[in-house]
Amino acid sequence: MVLLPTTVVGSYSVPEWLERLKTEYYQRRISAPHLAEIHEVAIKAAVKDQELAGIDIVSDGELRRDNDVDYFLARIPGVHIPQRAKTDYFDYYDAEVTRPLPDVPEALGLADDFRFTRQLTDRPVKFSFTGPFSLSRRIRDDAYPDPGGLVRALARRLNAEARELAAAGADLLQIDEPFLAGYPEQVELAVEAVNVVTDGVPATWALHVCYGNRYARPSWEGHYDFLFPAVKAARVDQIVLEFARKGLDDLQLIRQHEWDRWLGFGVIDVKTPQVETAELVASRIRRALEYVPADRLMINPDCGLRHLAPEVARRKLRAMVAGAAAVRAELEGGGQT
Amino acid sequence: MDVDLRPVRKLRQSAETRAALGPIIEAVCASSADLSRLRVVCDWIQYRSNFRDAVVARPIGSTDVELAVDLRRCGDVAPGDLAGLVKQALSDQSGLALEPWVPGRDSCIWRFNALYWQALSVWEQATGREYEQSLPGGESDARNTEAASELILELFRLWDDLAARRALPDELYVLELGVGNGSQARTWLDEFVRLDQRHGRDYYRRLRYLMGDYSAHVLERARQAVAHHGERVSALVLEATRPAVTLGFLAGKTFLVYISNVYDNLPTDELACIHGRTYQVETQAFLADEDAGLIAGRFGTSRAGLGPLIDRLLRIGPELLSESAPAQFADPGQAVSFWQAVWHALRLRERYTPLEGLDRYQVSPALTGEILRSLLETEGDVRMHVSNGALASFTGTLPLLHPFGRVQCHDLFLTSRPQYRTGFYGPGKYDGSVVNWVNGPLLQLVASRRGFGVEFAPFRRRTGSNITTLTAQARD
Repeated sequence: MVLLPTTVVGSYSVPEWLERLKTEYYQRRISAPHLAEIHEVAIKAAVKDQELAGIDIVSDGELRRDNDVDYFLARIPGVHIPQRAKTDYFDYYDAEVTRPLPDVPEALGLADDFRFTRQLTDRPVKFSFTGPFSLSRRIRDDAYPDPGGLVRALARRLNAEARELAAAGADLLQIDEPFLAGYPEQVELAVEAVNVVTDGVPATWALHVCYGNRYARPSWEGHYDFLFPAVKAARVDQIVLEFARKGLDDLQLIRQHEWDRWLGFGVIDVKTPQVETAELVASRIRRALEYVPADRLMINPDCGLRHLAPEVARRKLRAMVAGAAAVRAELEGGGQT
Repeated sequence: MDVDLRPVRKLRQSAETRAALGPIIEAVCASSADLSRLRVVCDWIQYRSNFRDAVVARPIGSTDVELAVDLRRCGDVAPGDLAGLVKQALSDQSGLALEPWVPGRDSCIWRFNALYWQALSVWEQATGREYEQSLPGGESDARNTEAASELILELFRLWDDLAARRALPDELYVLELGVGNGSQARTWLDEFVRLDQRHGRDYYRRLRYLMGDYSAHVLERARQAVAHHGERVSALVLEATRPAVTLGFLAGKTFLVYISNVYDNLPTDELACIHGRTYQVETQAFLADEDAGLIAGRFGTSRAGLGPLIDRLLRIGPELLSESAPAQFADPGQAVSFWQAVWHALRLRERYTPLEGLDRYQVSPALTGEILRSLLETEGDVRMHVSNGALASFTGTLPLLHPFGRVQCHDLFLTSRPQYRTGFYGPGKYDGSVVNWVNGPLLQLVASRRGFGVEFAPFRRRTGSNITTLTAQARD
């Protein structure tokens, strides 16, 4: 692995034409097989874009997913979704559980998604999925008397899926918890659930916590201090946090709480179309190096790129790669590249 | 021949309206028009001052014609005279054109509208009354202690919650767009102080109340009304359709955006779907020959000189016009009289131009016509406002909201698409400004695609009002 490896958080730019086609599917005007073919073409393009930008660890761009929640809920046995047609593909379903989730050995299909991406590229592939805490926030729970019951049940289901993913060759898995910042008082429950998901799965694990990116807007505001010290109990190898939009003040939490694992450092603001310069990215990385050693720093955008126009996403990734390369060269004694 | 009767309620209520229908159809049938290519559209134009004659013809593409009838006025016309109006409409394209054919939002009526707000003080001096008196009901709907109290207490609850999570910013922004005479701001701020003292959290110290308006004159009047709130209040002259230009620093920070009677006064296009084909309504402002002659004679110019003189008025305003042409306008008041005479006589003619794909139509710089497809092309013939200015303003305002912030807007909103089939919603004239109802379902749709829920409710503080309250806040 190179010093200061670059990666993405997960989602990639969803072009307007793809949004329209997805909506056509959810309004039942095109078929599932046609949409699947469209997704495959889009994923190939997304992987190629990342390779051309110079990203070290790529993803499938999550382009099959309608949003960060429903793609999973729609596949989990026991989650009831009364109305599966949508006015717009990105809308959330109304989902409910009326009895405890069944313990059935039914895969969710994420391993197939990974396999498809794996054969497209020689580069390492990160595979991300939404964590149990955030999934639970979009389900009306009439089944579990203890509010944590549903979270834990979802975690067990995701653990089974993670094992499938590892068996398929996935060695870098990421749990996304985009809703956690809205419920800081429940961070212990979320961490407990993360540990259920990762349990016994032989992979490098990342945990992404942001302030939300739905419609390119933060869903909450605040600081990452709510994560600590609870997150130190998470059996993960990286935490992937946003800094570009929020500023770098929370970097001091890494030192203050002696986080001794990797930091996925957000250097690209995904909520603005304004493209950062490589110099700005480099300056952010240099600042992070005051708190985290270079051999534990991974460079990524704040969050997924899904709301950015394709050309903006490409330019942002190129700037990120160039900024990381500049600092890497300084660290390796080669000066500016 | 299609006959489209829109004023459904009026047809039930008005015998004169029903009585006008027969003679109009008789007159159409007696004309030489190709009836297979003719549509007759009957509206009830509620604005006594408007841009229409009682009967007008609108070309549809190059082959068809729409005959547009104002049943309110036709009800007052003797049946025998209706035939003459129909005949004249089908043959007449005379008058003094003041512009080429343009989309509605580019019409010079919006230059008149802008001039009204820029030169409001001289207009008011000439008319002897403040602009609020020309609004329906004679006052803005914006001032109400009870309504202010409700909003403020909701803010307090939110701020208490955020404070408990250490997520409350130091500065608490509230933005008012379209400030009227400052009554709303004064009522709101006075009430805020009272409730804050009772609440005991000293939020007033952290409050930043921003007033934004297009008119410096209006803004100054509002600023005086809230002078006792000192540094809590800032006043900004801004372009309502591009709030981010002035207010970009508020992105993600504003807890409440309060907007009253702004959107109905912003430029708009109209699009139509007729027999499955989509058209843009193009307009051309003109003066009837008789009006042009009268105005030219009254103000010492020729018919040919009238157009340039109007253009000059719109460019430099009445005060500079009187300074630059003292022989014609001895004082600004006379220039205002000229302005008012032109405004009173101003008419719009219309035509339907085929639109080659909704994606080729730009609603606003950031939004293509694709967004209109579900509203425009799904349920038969319809003509609707695009509310371009309102949409630009609205979509420019949403990013200013704090994640838990909201927009509250009182205005003339249509709240469902079928309403376009049952009534006329502008343009009309309010005093010296333009009024159009706002396409609420379109705002709702656009907001939805940006993650905001939009709800409409009747304005609760005054019965019988046409005003609707729009509330927008983040969903999910």
